[in-house]
Amino acid sequence: MANNVDLSVDFCGVKFKNPFLLSSSPVSNSAEMVARCFDAGWSGVVFKTLNSDRLPIVHPSPRMHCVHYGSKKEMAVQNVEMISDRPLKDNLTEFLYLKKNYPDHPIIASIMGFFTDEWAYLAKAAEDNGADILELNFSCPHMCIEGAGHKVGQAFKLLEGFTAAVKDVVSIPVMAKMTPNITDMNEPAMYAKNGGADAISAINTVRGISSVGLDDFVATPNVFGKGAISGTSGPAVRPIGLNFIASMAQNDQLNLPLSGIGGIETWIDALEYILLGASTIQVTTGIMHYGYRIVEDMIEGLSDFLAEREIKSVSDLVGKALPNLHETEAFDLERQGITQYDLDKCIGCGQCYIVCQDAAGQAIEWDAENRRPNLIEDKCLSCMLCKFVCPVPDLISYKEMPQDWKRQETAVMDKNMEKDIKLEPFTKEGPDECVI
Amino acid sequence: MSNLDKFKEMSKGLDLAQAIAEADRCLLCHDAPCSEGCPADTKPAEFIRKLRFKNVTGAIRTIKENNILGGACGVLCPTSQLCEEKCSAMFKSQNRPEGADRPIQIGKIQRFLVEHSWERGFEVFEKPEPRSEKIAVVGSGPGGLSCAAELAKDGYQVTVFEARPEPGGVLRYGVVSYRFDLNFLEHEMADVKALGVKFQYDTPIDSKNGAEKLLKDGFDAVFLAPGLWDAATIKPEGKEIEGLFSSVDYLAALRDGRFEEIAKKIKGKTVAVIGGGSVAMDCIESAVRLDTKDVYLIYRRSYSQMPAEPDERIEAQEAGVHFLLLNQPLDYVTDKKNRLKGLKLVRTRLGEPDESGRRRPVEITGSEWIMDADVVIEAIGNKALQESCEWYPNVKVDGKKLIKVDPETGKTSVGGIFAGGDIVRGPALVVQAVQDGKVAARAIKEYLGK
Repeated sequence: MANNVDLSVDFCGVKFKNPFLLSSSPVSNSAEMVARCFDAGWSGVVFKTLNSDRLPIVHPSPRMHCVHYGSKKEMAVQNVEMISDRPLKDNLTEFLYLKKNYPDHPIIASIMGFFTDEWAYLAKAAEDNGADILELNFSCPHMCIEGAGHKVGQAFKLLEGFTAAVKDVVSIPVMAKMTPNITDMNEPAMYAKNGGADAISAINTVRGISSVGLDDFVATPNVFGKGAISGTSGPAVRPIGLNFIASMAQNDQLNLPLSGIGGIETWIDALEYILLGASTIQVTTGIMHYGYRIVEDMIEGLSDFLAEREIKSVSDLVGKALPNLHETEAFDLERQGITQYDLDKCIGCGQCYIVCQDAAGQAIEWDAENRRPNLIEDKCLSCMLCKFVCPVPDLISYKEMPQDWKRQETAVMDKNMEKDIKLEPFTKEGPDECVI
Repeated sequence: MSNLDKFKEMSKGLDLAQAIAEADRCLLCHDAPCSEGCPADTKPAEFIRKLRFKNVTGAIRTIKENNILGGACGVLCPTSQLCEEKCSAMFKSQNRPEGADRPIQIGKIQRFLVEHSWERGFEVFEKPEPRSEKIAVVGSGPGGLSCAAELAKDGYQVTVFEARPEPGGVLRYGVVSYRFDLNFLEHEMADVKALGVKFQYDTPIDSKNGAEKLLKDGFDAVFLAPGLWDAATIKPEGKEIEGLFSSVDYLAALRDGRFEEIAKKIKGKTVAVIGGGSVAMDCIESAVRLDTKDVYLIYRRSYSQMPAEPDERIEAQEAGVHFLLLNQPLDYVTDKKNRLKGLKLVRTRLGEPDESGRRRPVEITGSEWIMDADVVIEAIGNKALQESCEWYPNVKVDGKKLIKVDPETGKTSVGGIFAGGDIVRGPALVVQAVQDGKVAARAIKEYLGK
């Protein structure tokens, strides 16, 4: 049982009892499911994207595939799932049920249209039937129609226009969901803001291919002999999601609340999004893997973190890592260090030796008799690869070296051949930035 | 379930997903201590790494190229004393990494890969360019098969002479089916036959000087691996006791399918098995399965000194076998019709370590006692047949009639004759016989001037 820490957050003026929401996906497909997720502890839901019944929605079969890493399951999930295939009437009836039975749990209605009137129609319908916030799906990566899904997210004028169309007809807050399948998310986010968006959510799935069948050469999921580039999600995309959230949070001009999505499974994953600027987080793939129950550990873990550090509210943590986030040019390169080994803990597998030999500074000698690594300190690059492969926790750590310490330069194989190189010294002056 | 069903098949091994998951636990040690632990140089570190990187066919190739009986060894090896003993994943340290409290199940992975090769029809070996040299191999047990395959891979004309009606030696006649079944043996034999090795069954080379004559009958070299088929016994010579079995006879009978005959003899009876090795474990476990009243294991040292693997010992205890440790059998008690009635034992204590490094059992004077038993199975090791020396009178043997060889080459005292397996080592492991076969094959090639 969690302690009584208040995890509630304010998002666009709507109160959530904790920052943990379902994202718009198969996990939020029906009121029956959403009711159970609320019972499990999720504070709110982004309901699966509504459609206007104008075009039939049929999901491909099979819908998903995944990427395992060794015996670890679902490092990433691949899906060709479409938006909700349920009639709009059914979905809205579900809203009414949830609002009646779970009045303290906000509903965010995800919508997707193809032209302004359709966006406006769906937005109004959602608001009229209890939606507390709208999420505009500009980011579904496998909608194939121009003007839909991530194609909108990449066509900034459309994105701005659709946002404005929605804002014209509703009074509830509007959040734009962004595709990561671009270089800089700030640009479309600013268009969304110009269209009137009150918040940004990111990321939707990353365009990817999970695998290719070796017997039929069909990418997966294999839909009767055909594959497609489609949406990748799960722990593998978390670094990508953190990048986009952090870069938008750093953008003073944007200055909108952010809802972080991408590979979140634990309270630590969630907290990292929060520290980099998100004030709510959304989860799908973690639930696809483990079910709604994981929110219990998110709530308890984050509560205990706050209590232990005597932090009053989640909002005090939002963006707290941003002041420490720099361009790499800001690094103090005068300060250098090396790895250090607590060899009493060593089990002698020698993985550190292998990676140091083949991927780093050849700074380890192997003591075959004792099965131990022997670090040559002034060759250590402090890449820390050895620490990453070491099976013993805390055996290898980083230590800073004194200012006067120098690292050996990488040895040239045969100095005698230097006289044979063909090279003129580079003498031209130029600016410190890239110009053609 | 009929007795037949209880004995017919071994339990299923790992499947692909399980094998990959197990390989995934491997630390991929730089210095591969597991590989050093394999007497036949089967290179577990290499085949586990290959499996880990999805190079399944390469993993199979590593096993089969290095150990033609890789499947049998995967099943039968006391891995906890060989490759798995050396595994870093069971490093006995308080700082051991999470999950590293047990070794990688190398034997199980090895068995899986070999079975998988049969399932997918993956052929490791290409047909070699035939050579003219002919080699005779005496005995189709693990040593003979290994030597034959190793030579056949290079195109040598190999003929294996087997005294019994079917091939395999101890693999066929010395282990119970539920540990290693005939289907498995047939598959592994097929790999040897596919290399072009010829087999002659029911062909004992037991005439006077028969083995040496092979050299005159057109064979360029001979490899002797007849094994040990006489059972060691504590029974006085010449005395016949009803109810006393040697493990050789007992297990061979089970393999021949004479279950009903054996079952009738031991059902409802008190059975004592003497010995502490894997063979003893096979005997007691099968006895339990044949509905005996009580099964005792009599061992003269202590539990931790048994050569049998820990999981075999635990299985036996779980099956209800009573371990009677620190008791040395002295003699048998029989009635007037020479029917077994009991076993004369003397209690022992452990003294100083002997040459095996284990503490020597020392009899406690005056502690002799009689234990009632209807059936006793002796599993105290095999020895060379009395007459075996006559098959090769010029080959030097030791006092136990074991053939003396140069351990680096398997060369005997007679030029062109090589030997390996139990007839050289005394009772030893399948994997050691495999290695002897490889070593001798290499020496034979050299001898023949390749």
